[in-house]
Amino acid sequence: MASDVVVAGEDVWKVYGAGETEVRALAGLNVAIRRGEIVAVMGPSGSGKTTFLNCFSGLDDITRGKVTLDGVDIHHLPDRKKSEFRARKMGFVFQSYNLLPVFSAVENVELPLLISGVAAPEARERARAVLGELGLADREHHRPSELSGGQQQRVSLARALVARPSIVWADEPTGNLDEEGATQVTALLRSLNREYHQTMVVVTHDASVAAACDRTLKMHDGRLVPS
Amino acid sequence: MASDALLLGLFLVVLLVLVAALALGHRVAFRIAARNVRRGKWRTVLIVFGLLVGTAIISGSFVIQDTVAAVDVHFTYQAYGFTDEAIYNDSVAQGSAPYAFFPSSVFSAIANRTATESLIAGTTPELVDSGSVYDRTSGVPEAGVTVIGVNASAGAVLGDFTYDNGTTTPGPLPGEVLLDDTLAGNLGASTGDEVVLYGATAVPLVVQGIVRDDTRGGFLGGNTAFVTLPTSQAFANETGHLNFVAVTNVGSLTAGVAHTGAVMSFLNTTLDDLGRPAGLQAVALLQNNLNAAISSAATTATLFLVLGLFSILAGTLLIVGIFVTLAEERKGEMGMLRAVGLNRRGLVYIFFFEGTIYAALAALAGTALGVVIGYVLLLVDTRLFAAQSAQVSAALFASFTVSGVSLLTAYVLGFLLAVVTIAATSARVSRLNIVRAIRSIPEPPPARRVYTYLAYLGALLVALGGLLFAATRSGTGDISYPLIGLAFVIVGGALVAARFVRDRYAFSAAGILLIAWGGTVDIHRALLGSSHTGTIFAVFVEGIEMVLGGVLLFVFNSDLLVAGISRLVGRHGRAVPVVRIGLSYPRRRPMRSAVNFTVFAMVIFTVVLIAAYGNGVSTSVARSVTAESGGYTFFGYSTGSIPDLAGDVANNSTLASQISVAVPVTYGTVASAPSGWPSPFYDAIYAPAVGADPAENFYTTNSYNFTATWHGLSAAAVWAEVASNDSVAVVDGNWAPGSSTILSGAHPTVALGGTVPLENPATHARSNVTVIGYMDQEFLTGFWVSPSAAAALGYSNFQGSLFKVAAGASTSDAAVDLKRAFFPYGLQLYNFAEILQQSVQSLESAIGLLEIFVSLGLAVGIAGMGIVALRAVTERRTQIGMLRAEGFTRGMILGSFLLEYSYVTLFGIAVGTGLALWLYYNATTGNPGGQFGTFAVPVATIATTVLVAYLLTLAAIAGPSWKAATLPPAEAVRYTE
Repeated sequence: MASDVVVAGEDVWKVYGAGETEVRALAGLNVAIRRGEIVAVMGPSGSGKTTFLNCFSGLDDITRGKVTLDGVDIHHLPDRKKSEFRARKMGFVFQSYNLLPVFSAVENVELPLLISGVAAPEARERARAVLGELGLADREHHRPSELSGGQQQRVSLARALVARPSIVWADEPTGNLDEEGATQVTALLRSLNREYHQTMVVVTHDASVAAACDRTLKMHDGRLVPS
Repeated sequence: MASDALLLGLFLVVLLVLVAALALGHRVAFRIAARNVRRGKWRTVLIVFGLLVGTAIISGSFVIQDTVAAVDVHFTYQAYGFTDEAIYNDSVAQGSAPYAFFPSSVFSAIANRTATESLIAGTTPELVDSGSVYDRTSGVPEAGVTVIGVNASAGAVLGDFTYDNGTTTPGPLPGEVLLDDTLAGNLGASTGDEVVLYGATAVPLVVQGIVRDDTRGGFLGGNTAFVTLPTSQAFANETGHLNFVAVTNVGSLTAGVAHTGAVMSFLNTTLDDLGRPAGLQAVALLQNNLNAAISSAATTATLFLVLGLFSILAGTLLIVGIFVTLAEERKGEMGMLRAVGLNRRGLVYIFFFEGTIYAALAALAGTALGVVIGYVLLLVDTRLFAAQSAQVSAALFASFTVSGVSLLTAYVLGFLLAVVTIAATSARVSRLNIVRAIRSIPEPPPARRVYTYLAYLGALLVALGGLLFAATRSGTGDISYPLIGLAFVIVGGALVAARFVRDRYAFSAAGILLIAWGGTVDIHRALLGSSHTGTIFAVFVEGIEMVLGGVLLFVFNSDLLVAGISRLVGRHGRAVPVVRIGLSYPRRRPMRSAVNFTVFAMVIFTVVLIAAYGNGVSTSVARSVTAESGGYTFFGYSTGSIPDLAGDVANNSTLASQISVAVPVTYGTVASAPSGWPSPFYDAIYAPAVGADPAENFYTTNSYNFTATWHGLSAAAVWAEVASNDSVAVVDGNWAPGSSTILSGAHPTVALGGTVPLENPATHARSNVTVIGYMDQEFLTGFWVSPSAAAALGYSNFQGSLFKVAAGASTSDAAVDLKRAFFPYGLQLYNFAEILQQSVQSLESAIGLLEIFVSLGLAVGIAGMGIVALRAVTERRTQIGMLRAEGFTRGMILGSFLLEYSYVTLFGIAVGTGLALWLYYNATTGNPGGQFGTFAVPVATIATTVLVAYLLTLAAIAGPSWKAATLPPAEAVRYTE
């Protein structure tokens, strides 16, 4: 069913440079991510994993092709609309957490809601609820520097989920964590996916993370290769 | 001067050799430092720009000093020319002449002796007098003219006169007169005009020519008529007498003065040998006036430099800010360097060498910029003053002077200031925890032991400040010392208190106390009394204390401030996240914001204070035209008594239609002996005539007001008492206790109801008067009494006069007609409104220049903001990427950046403005009617300053903010420095 597809990419190209210096970071990708799926994107360094995430999420422009998210061609939106679309439909988790150091945990989490125009009291309530679900109720007023790596990544996850986005993009979410932390975060991703049917795309090097996903897209030189 | 330059140069060389030696001993550190300098071209430019401001202020002050000194020296040479020394007796004025007369034989005796002295080129006999001139051809009279008699042969030593067409003449011919440019302009005179000189006798002459106001024709300042010695003797009715001997040293115009010491010694010996005939004194005329000119220029430069101290201090803070920012930026690198074995001293040297390179470049650029600033300021000055004196403007512009010593001094001071600040800051920022630095872990809050150390430091400050305060709180010393003393106690007390209570409470209390102590005159009086003296430096001290107080309040209450603003903005809408982000950085990193806040607050404080002062004094003067004039247009003074002023005006058809009121005033000088005043105080006495016409009775029609009267009498009652009671008087405002006007200087005071003995210094007639009112005017200074009271003191002349110009009549026409009609009496007129207006214009010009000068400090704030904003873009790159990923639009990023810097800038501006107005309000209300004028907010100036400062800041941060807004999110989010 077409409505089951959250993200669809048709013949997506991302080319850097020109002539002899041309680099094809994405070379004609055709991808469909279905609602409720958790998909891993794997591949060696330089294979185009992060470019995939950036281009399919609209963080970066594509050279050719089409990417739709909930049926909307995101690359034809003007920057302002694209930003608003991201605020409503997407969540992000990055390897280095990217939390605002001047904000507390709860302030970081409620930010996407405020950007979407949710009233501050409601945003705070929802942020606290998500933090509670992720076991961080007692850390909501801590600033990032006062949290462990695993805790910071969980705050980052809470921030990605709080607006109930159509999809969460995670770029090496366990890359900065020790083994125990990585296991916890992987389990959390999986449980959130199952519990809330949250669609997720996880770019990772870690085979154990990929193993926890519904399916894996393998990339090499900007192309998808068979698993 | 050459030795000063040599010393400074030597000092600079030693300093550079020391730095070079250190660099040789720490080559790795120096190499890293040099690489860091080349690391980012624009960053280096910005840092150098931030560092150069202090030097530019110093250099600019010196350029102004050099130029003003050159101008003053120029006019001094013009006024005295080749008259290096003079011999005269000015202790006794004789008639209208300023010096006592002596027989020509005395000059001959002096000349015989001086002819033997090799350092003296010649002596010239002269007669200097004053009088009136009437140009029969143009029909214009001029009173108050200097008349100088000199022989044609004087040109041999004093130089020739130069006609306006460029030809020269050695001196005036018999029956003719040379008019200088100023007098010719006033008379509308041309060569060949018939003029009459009125002195002791009337002397008709023909204008031989108009001569330039140069070193010969501008002698004694201009407005001069040069005649032959016999003509001047006839004019003064002093045949065979002189009253001035000009002495010319060997050498050129400027070189001759070098012999003044030896010549003065010779002249004094000669006069002693001759028995000091006629009480003659030798005076080092040129040398004394040159010294005064240079001293005056130094005073001007000091004013600029002290007011520039705010900007210099702001520049120093910026240096600290820059290096703290650099250290934060390089924290990871520094941690790595320490990890691989570089000791802490090595890190200090890296920063020190890097800073020294910046400082050397910045001092050079700052010195050059200071020259440009000085030039621009003088250019503005010449434009401002052009309307008042084209001659001064031209001289100022033509005399632009930059001395090598000044440039070297500015360079060395600027370089030293930067290097010392950098050395201290380097030592501080190089203290770091290696692990935290490498892993970018924030520093923990200060441990309790830090508060303990600070408490010890605080206790020391309390002790030192307390001692300083106790030692200086009484007496007549400079008020700056007790001001500093108690400020130390307040700051020290806060450091001690912070050991026991929350920082916010301790430092907020200190902030409030510092503001109150720095800016409240009543508190100063309560704790210090009213005897201390104050200089411009005291204003600097007060300003620093108040701004420090404001900074403490801002830094330690920033979170409350931000919460309040957030509440104001509301809790809904898309502005909320922008406000949150924009205000979070200054709230969470208050110390970084504090530097920029302080810079803006200090500079704006100075600008607004100067503007408020100028505005207050201008307002005060403008308001006082009515008060000073008493409703009259002119005050007249004539060398001869006008027996029937009112009748003469009434019978002159021209004047009758122009002058509505003419009041004859008996005028004279009295020596008063006020209680507690060590020596006789000479002042004027005025006794307006009652007159037959009730409509013109001064005592019932004048509108002079009083600031205070005896027993609260009304103005009408006071004047009625003065008119009818010979034993009472009213006095000008300078006599009121607490008055400290600019004009008055050292002045005695008298209490209401107090009695002052008065004496006519010529006749020694005496009487006592009881003072029953302080007039609300300080233009006509002295005692106002009844005509009969004046007569008791021996004054019954009518040499003074008050005129009111009729409605609709031209003031300038009336002035010309009055002077023409009463020319035989030598009537000079003083237009109240014009004189006050001129003083306002001069003041406004000076204030305008100072405002421009101190506004240069804004460059510090703007540079600081630019540097911090640039750094913030790099530092927050991933955070910006994350915000963009979460849905922040470019506009929201831009908005949050602009809000962040607007918050710091606008609060700094607001606090600086508020504190300056508070200080000025206190100064004016604490000294009513005093030198600070009337409190009035210079709305237009403040609005312009605020707008310009804010717009320039926006311009400085626009680039970095736009860069932040347009960062590609995909790149930003994965950025690693």
